[in-house]
Amino acid sequence: MSRTPVVVAMSGGVDSSVAAARLVEQGERVIGVTMKTFCYTEQAGPTRTCCGLDGILDARRVCDTLGIPHHVFDMEEAFTRDVIDDFVSEYVAGRTPNPCVRCNSNTKIPDLLRRAQRLGAERIATGHYARIEQAAGGAPVLRRGLDPAKDQTYFLWGVPQHVLPHLRLPVGDLTKPEVRARARALGLSTADKPESQEICFVPSGDYGDFLRLRLGAAHPAVSAGDLVAADGEVVGRHAGYGRYTVGQRRGLGGGRGQPLYVLSVRPDRNEVVVGREEELYRDRVVLGGMNWIGVAVTTGQQVEVQLRYRAQPTAAAVEWVEDGRVALHLTEAQRAVTPGQSGVLYSGDRVLGGGRIQ
Amino acid sequence: MAATIYLDHAATSPLRPEVRDAMLPWLHGHGNPSSVHAAGRSARVALEHAREQVAAALGAGRGEIVFTSGGTEANNLAVLGRWRRARRGAVVCSAIEHSSVLGAARAAAADGAILTLLAVDEEGSVQPEALRDALQLGPAVVSVMWGNNEVGTLQPIDALGDLCREAGVCFHADAVQAVGRVPVRVDRSACDLLTVSAHKLGGPPGAGALFVRAGTRLEPLVHGGGQEHGLRAGTENLAAAVGLARAIELAVAEQASEALRLAALRDALAELITSAAPGTRINAAGAERLPHILSLSVPDADREALLVSLDLEGVAASAGSACRSGTIEPSHVLSAMGSHDPDMAVIRLSLGLTSTEDEVREAARRFAALIPRLRAHVLEASR
Repeated sequence: MSRTPVVVAMSGGVDSSVAAARLVEQGERVIGVTMKTFCYTEQAGPTRTCCGLDGILDARRVCDTLGIPHHVFDMEEAFTRDVIDDFVSEYVAGRTPNPCVRCNSNTKIPDLLRRAQRLGAERIATGHYARIEQAAGGAPVLRRGLDPAKDQTYFLWGVPQHVLPHLRLPVGDLTKPEVRARARALGLSTADKPESQEICFVPSGDYGDFLRLRLGAAHPAVSAGDLVAADGEVVGRHAGYGRYTVGQRRGLGGGRGQPLYVLSVRPDRNEVVVGREEELYRDRVVLGGMNWIGVAVTTGQQVEVQLRYRAQPTAAAVEWVEDGRVALHLTEAQRAVTPGQSGVLYSGDRVLGGGRIQ
Repeated sequence: MAATIYLDHAATSPLRPEVRDAMLPWLHGHGNPSSVHAAGRSARVALEHAREQVAAALGAGRGEIVFTSGGTEANNLAVLGRWRRARRGAVVCSAIEHSSVLGAARAAAADGAILTLLAVDEEGSVQPEALRDALQLGPAVVSVMWGNNEVGTLQPIDALGDLCREAGVCFHADAVQAVGRVPVRVDRSACDLLTVSAHKLGGPPGAGALFVRAGTRLEPLVHGGGQEHGLRAGTENLAAAVGLARAIELAVAEQASEALRLAALRDALAELITSAAPGTRINAAGAERLPHILSLSVPDADREALLVSLDLEGVAASAGSACRSGTIEPSHVLSAMGSHDPDMAVIRLSLGLTSTEDEVREAARRFAALIPRLRAHVLEASR
């Protein structure tokens, strides 16, 4: 056996199933691993999302079909600390986090590499729709997945530099229908499994309820407060600032004869600032906590920036500002730029890096 | 990859050919033992013959054996069935019981029982003095396992049983790991209830039995047609009962010689591994132990990495108890012994009928080959 094994993160979904299958087809020695993020045994009854116990069992079944070993790595502690606690504290700070970005970039992928190396493996793989080019002697290049409808580079901008040379993304050059077709052709049980949509630790999709459970019902983030206009006039009541995100309309009731939208959240005063839709547009965005994928941009450089998962990228000029943050001057003002979400910088289909919207 | 070496017989042991042969006729279809026609009568005869075999192997009367779906059900029937009959006082068990006893005891506690866990010493042994104190609570049942499934410690069953008998308290012993490995006779011990299971001995999974000493009253957990002396309703699983009976009969007949052979293999395995991985500790080393179980704590290694690496090298082992999702949970047994050390990887290697000297040597060689890499990563992580 000349080459070291490849450890594939398998959620039990079709994408990572096919990722593992493709590596097996390429003659690699593959080890399937499901990263357990929270304890399912405490939740009696059927689970729904891809991350649940069903996911573990589905991944195990696929590995059995592929004739490869499957193991479960317990990352509950790190997941709770790095992802769930961060999710809650971001909402408390009045921002709208994207836990899947944090999980993939900071927790799952680096942790997978660390544990893979303990098993003597030097390469890891995931089922993300993204492509990575391992240049000999140079830094790896991360590109959007070939299927524009499925591209997941938005979740990967934060993968640390030291991890990228070890990362393989075997389905990045396939479309979702191609992935399903391959899974069916191989007889994988996950071929027609529906997509997971919600955040895995909030399967109900009710974030407000989740925050109330974690923080207690008395916490201001989930307690009633004032809806205010930009000029400070109180125009109504809200059900806890943690339940609102910039651009949101639903749940605000009427107001001044026209629809109201959330413009910002003021956690220190438990106020939600509302206004007209036109007021939601911004032409300057500041990003912090930057991570670069093998390059560094310079002030004045033209890039494209994507401000939400599935949003269209928009042209912007880069300006370095204090504390290692980056300001982006947007060619066209964007609606509902939301603090806590990711801003990911691209040049064509190449990912340059990203940061959190401030 | 080289052939897999199976060192997880305490989890389940391969079906013995003799057991399979005994079961086969009853898998082809037969009458219901409760039916009065000829097919039913022959099934009844086979079932009662199986019961006599189990009774004889344990030194019990044939009316004292209740067939169950396995060790877990038998343990539940013993603990919960006894509690529901008494409905007062305490349920007492050791802190290192199998999850089926602990789970049943917790269910009894939810139903009003005072749950008392007996502490164990650093060798995993229950001190009779601790039981003497607990008996003051007037327990409905005391449950202590004959031999521990994780570290192998044999309990002072005679002393504990005698204390219970003097106090007039019902005593249950979970002998799932012990039967066939050490002498287990209910006619020479003071236990009123005793659990056995087939698949640890080369019998089929899903087959077990509870010895219920004549005069011991239990409340059934499964209600219906009154089978198994009214203690376990439902049409009997005849093939499973026949398999259990044959497996126990063989294991008890071979017990003395097999115990010597397994203990020698176990000690050789321990010697090879501890010399290859200095600092490795044999858990419960100072206790009288089951001959087929070896629990090791390996320093400067990660338990997940050790267990997974062994699997990748074709050595089937176990680390404490696995949860439903397949992650490796910290051992409640080692915690109770005060031996839990987060910097050491705990591994259980368990031997059985098919284990050989060559396998033990090869397993130790594969084990030793992993140690440098595991240590390097742990030391790197701690820097």
